[in-house]
Formats: sequence, structure tokens, C-alpha cells
Amino acid sequence: MKHILKLHVNGEDFEIFTEMNKTLLEVLREDLGFTGTKRGCDLGACGACTVLIDGKPYLSCLTLAIAVQGKKIVTIEGLAREGKLHPLQKAFIEKGAIQCGFCTPGMILTAKAFLDEHPYPSEEETKRAISGNICRCTGYVKIVEAILSVNENQ
Amino acid sequence: MRLPKFEYLEPRSLKKASEALTADPKGTFLLAGGTDLLVNMKHGVIQPKRLINLKAIPHLNYITEGKDGLRIGALTTLHDLASSTLVQDKYPVLGQCALEVAAYTHQVMGTLGGNLCQENRCRYYNQSVFWRSARAPCYKVGGEICHVVRKSKECHSTYRGDMAPVLIAMDAKVKLVGWMGNRTIPLKRLYTQIGKKPLSLRKGEILKEIFIPSPSGQTLYLKWRLRGTLEFPMVSLALHLEKNGEGNIDRAKVILSGLGTGPLEAFEIEKMLKGVSLDDGVIEKISNQMVKEISPMRTSIASPNYQRKMAGILLRQGLEKFKS
Amino acid sequence: MDKLNVVGKREVMLDAWEKATGQARFTDDLSFPGMLFGKILRSPYAHAKILQVDLTQALNVPGVKDAITGRDIPKKMYGIVPMAKDEYALAIEKVRYIGDEVAAVVATSVEAAEEAILKIRVDYEELPAVFDPFEAMRPGAPILHSNVPNNVSASIRKEFGNVARAFSESDVVYEDTFETQPVNHSPLEPQAALAIVDLSGKVTLWSSTQIPFFLRRNLATTLDIPESKVRVIKPKVGGGFGQKIDLYAKDFCAAFFAMRTGKPVKFVYEREEVFTSTRQRHPMHIQLKTGMKKDGTLLAQQFKVVADGGAYNSTAPLMITLACYFIMLPYRLENLLFEGYHVYTNKPVGGAMRGHGIPQVRFAVETQLDMIAEKMGIDPLELRLKNAFLAGEPHPGKLLVQSCGFSDTLVKAAEGIEWKEKRGKLPFGRGVGLAGASFPSGVSNMSHISSGAIVKIERDGAVTLLTGAADIGQGAETVISQIVAEELGVTLEDIRITAADTEITPLDPGTFGSGVTLRAGNAAKMAALAAKEKLFEAVAEKMEVHSKDLEAKNRRIYMKDQPEKGMSLIEAIKIYQYSDRPMPIIGRGSYLPPAKEPTTLLKEDGNFSPAYSFMTQAAEVEVDTQTGKIKVLKMVASHDCGRAINPMLVEGQLEGSVVGGMGQALYEDVITDKGEVVNPSFLDYGIPTAMEVPSIVSIEVETNDPEGPFGAKESGEGTQLAPAPAIVNAIYDAIGVRFKTLPVTPEKVLEALWKK
Repeated sequence: MKHILKLHVNGEDFEIFTEMNKTLLEVLREDLGFTGTKRGCDLGACGACTVLIDGKPYLSCLTLAIAVQGKKIVTIEGLAREGKLHPLQKAFIEKGAIQCGFCTPGMILTAKAFLDEHPYPSEEETKRAISGNICRCTGYVKIVEAILSVNENQ
Repeated sequence: MRLPKFEYLEPRSLKKASEALTADPKGTFLLAGGTDLLVNMKHGVIQPKRLINLKAIPHLNYITEGKDGLRIGALTTLHDLASSTLVQDKYPVLGQCALEVAAYTHQVMGTLGGNLCQENRCRYYNQSVFWRSARAPCYKVGGEICHVVRKSKECHSTYRGDMAPVLIAMDAKVKLVGWMGNRTIPLKRLYTQIGKKPLSLRKGEILKEIFIPSPSGQTLYLKWRLRGTLEFPMVSLALHLEKNGEGNIDRAKVILSGLGTGPLEAFEIEKMLKGVSLDDGVIEKISNQMVKEISPMRTSIASPNYQRKMAGILLRQGLEKFKS
Repeated sequence: MDKLNVVGKREVMLDAWEKATGQARFTDDLSFPGMLFGKILRSPYAHAKILQVDLTQALNVPGVKDAITGRDIPKKMYGIVPMAKDEYALAIEKVRYIGDEVAAVVATSVEAAEEAILKIRVDYEELPAVFDPFEAMRPGAPILHSNVPNNVSASIRKEFGNVARAFSESDVVYEDTFETQPVNHSPLEPQAALAIVDLSGKVTLWSSTQIPFFLRRNLATTLDIPESKVRVIKPKVGGGFGQKIDLYAKDFCAAFFAMRTGKPVKFVYEREEVFTSTRQRHPMHIQLKTGMKKDGTLLAQQFKVVADGGAYNSTAPLMITLACYFIMLPYRLENLLFEGYHVYTNKPVGGAMRGHGIPQVRFAVETQLDMIAEKMGIDPLELRLKNAFLAGEPHPGKLLVQSCGFSDTLVKAAEGIEWKEKRGKLPFGRGVGLAGASFPSGVSNMSHISSGAIVKIERDGAVTLLTGAADIGQGAETVISQIVAEELGVTLEDIRITAADTEITPLDPGTFGSGVTLRAGNAAKMAALAAKEKLFEAVAEKMEVHSKDLEAKNRRIYMKDQPEKGMSLIEAIKIYQYSDRPMPIIGRGSYLPPAKEPTTLLKEDGNFSPAYSFMTQAAEVEVDTQTGKIKVLKMVASHDCGRAINPMLVEGQLEGSVVGGMGQALYEDVITDKGEVVNPSFLDYGIPTAMEVPSIVSIEVETNDPEGPFGAKESGEGTQLAPAPAIVNAIYDAIGVRFKTLPVTPEKVLEALWKK
């Protein structure tokens, strides 16, 4: 059954006519074209589809789009502001924390939510926070380095 | 994997939700965090006609402390639980336990109520439609066989929740709201120990609140899994001990997860612990008893033999922590 | 060597910005108007005859546009190794494993396609299945492929030197058996393909592939159309590790349905399909006999390797050849007898995975070396150093090793892990271990052996680079661009790269056998040089000097010995134009590695690869003796990569590969129950998470290989050969228990400790 879905994504309001049983991941990728959100396992066990909802990290593959109407959704496309990269994006790029890039959007958004809650985390806390985001390329070393570097000099 | 089609409801109150649930109890499912439910829907092991989104109901996300204990709204997320300074200060084991559930995102999405009401798991059940098509349907999906124990007359699916053992060990009670009225039962009675239908909820009943009496004694939670995150427990153990002035144990609670069709209470161990003072000999003897008291089935990739050994080891570790 | 400006620098990956902002487009991110979505019906039987397939009900599902079975497709087999083709894009007469492709549908939505798949009725006649390679080899066992009556689809028996004599001359002979498990590559991006067909009938396929040119060839074969009617484009690829070298049903089906319907068609695999129906590292059973002199000189080794190949060949003959040849390196071993068998079973299919046949045998060799060292009272490090191969030594298999830093990698890894201070000296439960290995820098990929490149210098000084190399996340495009920038004396920002499009870019074997940097890098370097020489000719004429006296650096062309005499690149380009020389300034490069096609080595001897990398992994572990849980505390990866074109990317390669190797050692195992994968998910299959990661030290040993571009060789793939034995050796140092099967789970440790 189709319905009118109203979503607030990356600072914009969207109104679309779509199936009721769609996950947020499907709506973001297929209806709204935010393909930066990745589908890695579709069952909540890899973290590639992570987006921010009201600032918290959600698995969009296990979130009903209909259930997050009226909430503030941020995807990787909405993280840079006025053409300026978020410090985490900058750190990931410069530290070599990106290889194939498939886990990157989910990883960065998870890290963003985490740093917002814990601006000066330990290495162990950082590893725990991103432990639901699987990366097969980097061995996580440079990812952890990048996250820890963001608030290092402040 | 797409979700099957369903009707979606956002009632504004629990009463309305309960009414909707009562109208079609078999076809209606409650949605809280969704981390368990949506996976089961994608796997096609449940096919709800209707989903009721409880997260849309206001005032079910709270943590308050009264004279007699702590009240937690069923829709409180595991993340909120772990982040609560009240919990961290007075009921630290609850926060620690919440952090053991899956990973960060699951804790943000998942609710305490949802965690307590999560479905039982089995390696033959938590699989896709394609995967299961290689075998006859099992009891859990309405079939006539158990693939774990071939000659069994019943389903051996296993309870693998993290929060329930700790809360049962702390004598938590749960408030259930139904169209017939409310009732409060000890949390342990929420679990039927029946694989096919693990929860004792009556028609239209919804878990509203978890009550934890003011702590007496100490509680800890030990979880065993291959990796340090994501996974359900291969085996986990909540241990609650109350000691008297002489250091002897007055009261002991030992609750396990991952070993049976519901959270498992180790009665023999509890009996053995009563009245003793923890020394190396006692700990040795009692933890060796654990192996004899449990009989897990091969419902996950962990071997039952190893699970039994680990249950004993976790108990030993727990008791040793309390010794000092 | 001269001072280098771009090569050797920690340059940021060219597409990192796109990937960090969500702009990077992977196959599943692409779409076309009117696109159809496909799904594949797979076999629930491990072995069965397909009697009948009824598509009627599936075709009746609203939105479904087309459906096919194996009987609708050209009867053309495909395979990555031409001599070992044994697979149809969809099964035609029978299915051979749970997950084998039976039928496919396309529909206007994924939902409709998923629904339709469930409505296909298939009548099977179940056949006896075999799940164990040894049982499969016995007379009377179920036969998977009628042309292979003993189920041994590839085998190798090679002897170098005189093994019998060498054993009789040995002072000590040791014999052990080892076993390794199936491992899934688990790239984060599931396999995907998208095809369109134009009015001329040409198919364009976007695919998550590592080797676009070979995919084009296999696709043309299976579609039964000329190769010129197929264009393969590789968008961003979310990791491969060897799993994306094969053609899959999704590639064929996307193209075939696009041809049938005239619509764009997309197929994307579920994670479960990646586990059940793509490829995995071959589980192996390895018998190993080693003869040695009292002083620790390695005299002879004899192997019998049985690889469980699953239902199809994939790379079988190549895999078994690699396993054989890379036993000999990194050590001096004059006498080797290797017997290897690739055996069909009704299980998921083995294929190339990071190390390709070698991690398994290295686990056996490196573990046994430690066992021997202990019995003989020799330090395992000394034993390895004593037998370490040296550059330029004659090799019994005629491998031409021009650079070799193996001894250096041993010494540096040992220092990094504090070998002298720690080995045998840590408290019970803590230990260190190390292991060595060698890997080719480029395995020739059958008919696609050489790499090509085109470099064009534009009027404004920008450089356009066309390469066939397939970047799958390792940074190939960045590294090749660095090579070109260095050769032309420009900066990395000046390079614009177009890669991996079979219609536009020159032929390349793809990301396969660790040859990208060396092969495609050399081709690009040659192309850059050719373009530069054209420019030099015009400049030399104008300056009235010899072009061999010119040099290009920092966007300038000048006299080598009088750097102030020269001009900017822009001026040089102007001079070129006004001297009535033909524009554009194009250089072409084509590099054919001086090596043999590997499957020819099944029968004859010869050089395997243009260069060989060498590496040592060292590990420090902590074993919880109460629970059996192993924590890797530290890994040191020292790697002779010739020269690191980009040290930051090399480190990234080493770190990722080490963690993958750690997964193989401790956590990962594709478990099957009567041929069905029990754990086809990231929840139950133990890929290491950030929680498991130890501190990792990467050490680059530079040997400046004469064949490699700017001296570069392989890095990253060979790195995964030795973490498992290093960790297993460290476990022995920690608790005195020797493990000969992988993975070493807490359960196995606990059992061993209780027995002790």
C-alpha cells in the first residue's frame, strides 16, 4: 500500500508517495537518491547503512521510514556544511582511513554521534563505539586514529 | 530483503495499542526498536498483518527513582539506560549490561522492553526464506519438526537476551497493560520456558514498565561470545549475592542466558551458595556443579559442551569477584 | 636514485573526498529510467537433477517482466581459467550445491522480483551428495561433473631436485598434518551488476568486478555474442580481496535480461548470497614432511595437499600451482615434492582469496618450522634466517628473484616484537611468534597478460591518464597517477585518470595476483615516458641541446646539469605546438611481464612473476588460560614492497591484511551442515571488529626491485600469508600448546588446556 511520506533529510523537507513497508534505507537510496547510505548486509549487522536521527546513529535498514517522519535525519551527504567538510570527513581523508569507502559513510556518522556525546574519548571507548561498523579493508587502525585526531588539538 | 506488506498503526496510548492488539492477536506485532522484529520480518519467520509502533506513544521513556526502587519505562532505550547517571550511580550493573547488547546503534534503537521481549533464537530459525527452504518447516515457524533435536516433540529455540538475567537476579517486576486491566508480575514469570511461545503475555497485553527494587547486595553480569561486540551471548550469567554481617551468603541468584528456552535459574547453585562463605574450595565446588545443572542444545554455532564449560567458568569468575 | 617528488609521498587517495561525502558511486548506486530489478532462485539441494522448472506463476506476479531458467540461456560454459571452465551462468541439468543458480526473474520492483522467485516451481530429483574431499575421491562417491569421474578437477605433482635422496641425507625428518577452514572474503559491498543494451545490440555492464577485461570476455562467451558487443565499466568497488574476479550469475543475468527486454536491468546480491554463492578461501588438508640437517639447513620438503574446492573450479589449477610454488620461497629449498589435488564437493565454491592458495600451506610450513626449531633447540628466528632466500640466488624452479629483503623483514619484525627480550621469557599465557612468506607481484591472468596505458599531455599542462587497472579500494588509481606524475615531473593534482572501462581504456589483467602496481604502473610509466620524450624532442630542438640532457620536474623542463636553463611545462607545450608537431601529445605504454603464464608451470619450469615480495609477521598474544580466549596484543608486519610508492597506502594495505589474517587465525569459519552454510551473516561469521584489533606496526623494507616501477613490488596481499602461523606460534610460546587446525577458537584452546 502506498502513502504520502514526509521526511526531513539533511535540512530539507521531502514529500513522497511510496510503499508503506519501506525501510528508511530503501527510501533514502531509491526514492530520495541519497545513495551515500550503503546497504552492506540489510540485517543490521554491518553498520554501513547508519544515518543520524535526531543526532543519534540508527541502522536505516532496520528503521521503518514511516516511523521517523518529523525527525531530523542526516545522511553522509548532509554532513558537510556550505561546502566545508566536517572535521571527521577531513580526518578520514587525511589519515588514510578510507580504502574502498563502502563502510565510510556509516563509520563517519557513527563516529560523529559518538564524538558529540564523548568529545574526548579513549582509544578503547572509540573502538567500542564503532564496533558495530564492519570494515574489511583498513583493519580499523587509521579509522581509530582519524576519530581520535578530531578533538585532539582543542 | 524486502519487508512484507503490513498495515501500520501509531496509537497515541497504550490502551489504544492494546485494543488494536486484541483485535487480531496473531497477526499484530508490536514494534519498539525494531532490531529484532525487522530482521525476523525480512527473514520471513514472522509475517505481521499489522505493526503497532509503540515508540509513537508518549511518556513510556523514563527512568525514575522512588523510595522502593527504580521504575523504567518499557520504551527507554538501552543507550539512555547506559547513559543515565542515576543508573550509573545506583544500579551500575544495568548500564554495564545494556552496553553488552549488540553494538552502539542497536543500543540507540533498542528498548529495554523490546530487549526483554525479544524472540528466542535458533540456527535453523534465524535464517532467510531461501535458507529454510532446504529443510522442512520447524515448530517455531509452525511446522512439525525440530531440527536441533530430531525426535523432540517441542521447539528448542533459545533465549539469548542480555537484560533479563540481570533484572531477574535483581528481582525486577514488570507492569503489563491489557484491555482487561493491568497486572504486575515478577519478570521471571514473563518467560514461559516454551520455545515456540516464550512470553506469557496474555491476549492484548503490553509491557509498560520495569520495576527494580532498591538494591540489596551486589549484582554482576558476565557475557561470553567470540568477539567483543555485536553477538548474542553464547552463554551469559547474572550473579546476585547478598551477604550477612559475617560475610556468609544470605541469598543468591544465578540466572543464565543462551542455554535454554528462557532465562535459566540455577536453583541448585543458589541452594549451594546459601549460607556459605566464599573461599577457593567453595568456589571450586560450586562452579563445578554448574556443568551438571544445565543441558543446552546445539541451537547456535557454539557447541553445547563448550557452553556448559563456559557457564561454570563464568560462575567461578563471578564468585571470585565477590570474594574480594 | 634521484630525489623523487611524488613517488614515496603519503598522498591522499584520489577519490577519498568522494567517498567521505557520499558522492562515490558504486554499482548499486547507479540507476536508469525504466530499470528492472532482478533476483535469482537458488537450489535448496546440495546435489539434484533439475527435472522441470515452471515459471508460470512467477510470470503472473504483477510487475514481473521476464523469467528464465538454465534451459533458456546459451549452452556456454565460463570460468576464470580457460582450461577449467565448468560452470553455466544458470544451472542447466543439475545443481551441485545449496545456492547454485536455477532460475532468475526481473520485475519493475525488488519486491515483485522477490515474490516471483518464491513462486517458481522446480521439480528436483535429489542425488547423493558428498561433503568431504577424501570421501569424494573414493571410488563410488557421487560424481559432481560427469567429465571428472574421481572428482579431482585439478592436480599437480612437481618435483624439484631429488627429494628421496635429500630425505635420506637429512639428519632429522618431521611429518605433520594441518587443516585450514573456509574463509569468506566478505567485501562490504555485495556483488552487483547493471546492464543496458543500445540499439546496435551492444551490452554495457557496470559491475562490482576486479577484472573488467576478463569479465568482458567471459560475458561475451556466455551471452554468445562477440567481445566487441560488450563493454564493461567498473564503478567504485567496495572491496574484493579476490572474490570479485569471477563472473557471477548477476553479471550474466543483468546483461541477458537487458538483451531480452531492452530495459536497463540491475542485480544486487544479498549478504547471504555472498556467503553461499560466490567464492571462499579453499579449506585444505595438508600433509607435510620436512628433512633437515642438524645445523638447521632445510634439505627437503614433501607435501600432499587436498583442497576442498566445492562444486566448481573457479581458479582451481592456478590456485594449486600457487600453493606449490610459494612453498619454496622465502626459503632456500633445493628439493621439493608437491602433490596437490583440487576436489569437487557439494559445497560453496573455492576461489582466489588474498594470498590465493598460499595462506593455507604457509600456515603448515611456518608452524612446522617452529616445531622443528624447538625439537632441535634452535631459535625459530635463527632457523629462518639461516635458510632465508637471497636475491639473485639460482632457484630450483627457475624463479628469477632480482630483489629480496626477506632476511631484513625477519630481523625488523623480530625487533618490532622484541623477540630477544620476550620469546620464552613472558609469563605463562603470554607469548610471541613469527612467520615468513613470499608473494608474486603479478600473476599473469591467462590470456590477459599485459597491461596498457595512454598518457596525454593537454594544452594547459594537465595530464590525462587512461589505464585498464581496476581500483577496488586499494588505491591503484592513486598509485599509478603518482607514478605518471613523477615520470612527467608534474604534481598529482595535474593528473586526471580514467580507468577500467573496456571501451576506453587499454587492456589490463585487472586486480589479480598483486600485479597492479608493477604491471599497470610500468605500463603507465612507459606511456608517460613516451609522451615526455615527444615534448623533450621539441624543447631540445628549440634550446639546441640533446633531449637526453633534459629533465622534467616541478612542472618544468630543464637541463639536467644546469637546472636554471629551461622552461615551464606550459611553455614547452607551446613550443611543441608551434613547431608544427601533431597534437595531442600522446604516449603509449604496454608492459608484458617477463614471466610465464602460471598454469603452464603445472608441466614445465619457469619464472612465475616479474618480481617477488617478501614479508614477516610477528605477533604477541595473551591467552586467558581460564576461558581459552586469545587476545592479539600486537602485530608487526614487515614487508619488502620494493619501494613504497605511497607509504600511507602501503600501511593501510598491511594493517587491513593483518587483521584479515587474524580473522583466519582466530574467528572466521564458514560452517556448513550437509552443504548448507550455517552462518551466512555478519552476526554469526566472525569478521574481526574494531574491538579485536591489536596495535599494529607496519615496517616497509625497501629493496628497489629492478623490474618494478621506481622499484615497487606487491604489498597487502602477501601480508595475509603469515599472520595466522605467527599467531599460532605465539600461542605456543604462551601456553605450550600447538594448534594444527584453524581457526584456533577459545573452545579448542580450553579443551587443549584441560587435557594438558
